[in-house]
Amino acid sequence: MGPRVALTGTGRLVFGALILATLSACGSSKPQASPLAQALGAVAKNTLHGGSAAAGTQAPVTRADLEKLGTPVLQAAVAARAFAALLSPSDVKGNVVTWTSQDSVTFTFRDGILIQTRGLGPDLMSAEAPSVSQLLSSGVTYERAYYFLGADDQPTRRKYDCSTAIVGKESLEILERSYTVTHVVETCSRPQGSMTNEYWIDGTTVRRSHELLSGGAGFVDFARIID
Amino acid sequence: MLPMPRSLLAALAASTMIGAGLLAFPALAEMTKSLNLNGATGLIDMPSGEAQDDATFSFNFANIGPLTRATFSFQFSERLSASFRFNTWRDWNTLFPAEKDKETDRSIDLHYQVVKESGYLPAVTIGVIDLAGKGMMASEYVAATKGFGDKLKVTAGLGWGRMGSNGGIGAPFGNRPTLSSSDYGKIHIDQWFRGDAAFFGGVEYKLNDRWTLKGEYSSDAYLLEDDQRGLIEHDSPLNFGIEYQKGPNVRFGAYSLYGSEVGLVLHVILDPKHRASGGVMGAAPDPVKARPSRSANSGAYDSSWATQAGAGPALRTVLATRLAKDGIVVEDMAVTADRVEVRIRNGRIDAGAQAIGRTARALSHVMPASVEVFEIVPMVNGVGVSKVTIRRSDLEDLEFAADNATALRERVSITDAGQMPDYALGDAGLYPKFHWGLKPALRMTAPMEGDVGARLSASYDLSPGLVLSGSIYGRLYSTSDGSADPSASILPHVRSDGGLYNENSDIALERLTMAWYAHPAENLYSRVTLGYLERMHAGVSGELLWAPVESKLAIGAELNYTKQRNTDGAFGFDEYDYDIVTGHVSAYYDFGNGYLGQLDVGKYLAGDVGATVSIDRVFVNGWRVGAFATVTDASDAELGAGGYDKGIRFTIPLNWALGNQTNSKLDVALRPAGGDGGARVDVDGRLFQWIRDYHTGALDPEWGRVWR
Repeated sequence: MGPRVALTGTGRLVFGALILATLSACGSSKPQASPLAQALGAVAKNTLHGGSAAAGTQAPVTRADLEKLGTPVLQAAVAARAFAALLSPSDVKGNVVTWTSQDSVTFTFRDGILIQTRGLGPDLMSAEAPSVSQLLSSGVTYERAYYFLGADDQPTRRKYDCSTAIVGKESLEILERSYTVTHVVETCSRPQGSMTNEYWIDGTTVRRSHELLSGGAGFVDFARIID
Repeated sequence: MLPMPRSLLAALAASTMIGAGLLAFPALAEMTKSLNLNGATGLIDMPSGEAQDDATFSFNFANIGPLTRATFSFQFSERLSASFRFNTWRDWNTLFPAEKDKETDRSIDLHYQVVKESGYLPAVTIGVIDLAGKGMMASEYVAATKGFGDKLKVTAGLGWGRMGSNGGIGAPFGNRPTLSSSDYGKIHIDQWFRGDAAFFGGVEYKLNDRWTLKGEYSSDAYLLEDDQRGLIEHDSPLNFGIEYQKGPNVRFGAYSLYGSEVGLVLHVILDPKHRASGGVMGAAPDPVKARPSRSANSGAYDSSWATQAGAGPALRTVLATRLAKDGIVVEDMAVTADRVEVRIRNGRIDAGAQAIGRTARALSHVMPASVEVFEIVPMVNGVGVSKVTIRRSDLEDLEFAADNATALRERVSITDAGQMPDYALGDAGLYPKFHWGLKPALRMTAPMEGDVGARLSASYDLSPGLVLSGSIYGRLYSTSDGSADPSASILPHVRSDGGLYNENSDIALERLTMAWYAHPAENLYSRVTLGYLERMHAGVSGELLWAPVESKLAIGAELNYTKQRNTDGAFGFDEYDYDIVTGHVSAYYDFGNGYLGQLDVGKYLAGDVGATVSIDRVFVNGWRVGAFATVTDASDAELGAGGYDKGIRFTIPLNWALGNQTNSKLDVALRPAGGDGGARVDVDGRLFQWIRDYHTGALDPEWGRVWR
């Protein structure tokens, strides 16, 4: 059911393994040398570099390159986890779609709005989120709930009261293509503070968004590049 | 596993990212509750009224001229903290050339914060330092600390013992009795807060998030080091210096001490509650495989497959392949048209709940649609420890529901594992199986003293629950001088000849045992271990444990017959001619919030009778920090300098720091002295430790990971 498309003839698009290595800095498990040395290294890294990771420097990719893959492409970036990847769909169940990166980090959306992540560390384990049509009907107040897996391995709940405001129609360019989108700002508050999510909606497709992911991972930026 | 486009996407991603900015660690919000040269919360050499944040675990290494202090500290609760310290005095023979050139000591402190800082009130802490050693560091204090703004803190306190030795104001609570050698190793309550008291105090000023200035007036005259041993000059009570905080985990300090010495300190500060990696890392799980709706495709629910020969083994093979990538082994399986029981061994995932969740999702991919009930039995040492029963339709319904972990737990039952049905498929050639490993290993007798070597261990699982295993230690380098003498203990030397065991064995057979683990009846588990149980004792050890899956209380009994082994690490017993029957009745209780208590009552290795109390704080991520103490009927003379067996222990799971999938742990037990009183056989595989991992006391707190 999921549009996992096996392709041929794309081998020439292979970039170096080094780039894969830089991307996995946020990482899933890798082959281990000495666990103790790595444990010390992990602490040292946090200490010495504040947990930073380098970004790759490669020739720009064109829309044509991505279209050749024959799969929808979503870009995700989580600054606080130094995570950046292009995703393709791996599971579709009704209005719920899960997108996966090469190093097996997943982002799950219901109706285009993020409800789960896996593999980032401080993941969004589940959520009560609005639908796109709810986002587009400004002025209505609704509840949002986030369930994170905290750094203490315990589920943490954050409940917000949210409402949206339509900023207006805007022109948005994503990788050589322009879209006319509706810019929506979702303002959410709870006794401990407030936060703002932003969406750029193209019809019923969320073309671009800046959404809270979790307390530990902060915000995630999505851009829908290939439909 | 990944389709081709995905790996290409990853490669492309690097060049197209627009928002992959980097974020540094958040700045330290408030003034750090700093540690002192003794590894306890405080100024430079003096303590303060503050406490560390709950659960803070620190390691500290300080050097003051010829003195070295290495300390582990743990904030056991919001108010109570404990420290374990190794002290070394080099040039000990400066004034007495005929004596040994180095003195060492180990000490334990307790600190209790009686008042938390609030409004006009300062934080107030009472502490007892070196409460059960030889008294070389013994002191008690009351200290108050108040912050002014977010940059300045002022501390004032009153100390006794060492901390009452400079500028004394008299003895408000009477004279301080001196310690005799028969008091060593015991708690010196009659000394506490006795003798001369003296004021101390100091200030801390935070220059910025990294640099802090400190100055103090010390009430410790260093009589032992100056007057008695001539190691350092006490020219002034004033100490001052600067500290540098490097990230959340490391702090350095450099000080001018007592007008004559330079002190340097390194603190490594860890927060067991929070993973260094920020969260549980590792690849995302497979999604739940949705079944077609029964109304639209009733044919998919046909159950005639169940009667076909070969269906079970085929399903098992597919399941085993799917679970292998998470390090989960299918030990056994029993499947009918609507129900499957699968017994798994979790080799790598550090949380049982996550292994169970992954198994359930794998079953949703593998099992025909008619199979509605998944029974997952985690096995450890070949024994089914519990049974987690999950309805497949709940798994499907809740995959994307809000708060799905809580909702799933409400619908799941966790019960006794029971026995495998008669129609189970069996172990399918998993047994016998052989494992081995070679790891570097230390045998420490003091900080920076002991052996560096390698440990070769191997196990041969003959059938589920029947394990032949052993380990050999080979010494590669030693800092011991080869002059260890038999201990002077009056009790049988069941532990105190540790130095001889180290020095007399370049290569030692540490363990060689046959163990049989079983689950003979509901809530009942058993162990029989036969052979070379540990490096000092060999024999037979039997244990029974009553532990219902959902009970806070478990009760066990152990009976051992052992003979003491030779110090050369070989097979013989002629060196000691000592054998004994020992045994204990044990109660284990889960107090909640991660606090576990244990009480063992029985007969110990040296023939003494008594009880051991231990309390551990267990964190969901596998961190564990605890303390234990034993009291027996052995007399003071019999106990000697070591006193009763006591100490602290901690476990650090390596994946807490690494974030990857591994079960590896660092296990450490620290004792002030290795005495013969209150010693127990150190047999591997005691039941409660591993049975608990899959009972609700451990599974429920980590249940949030079932969907991870």
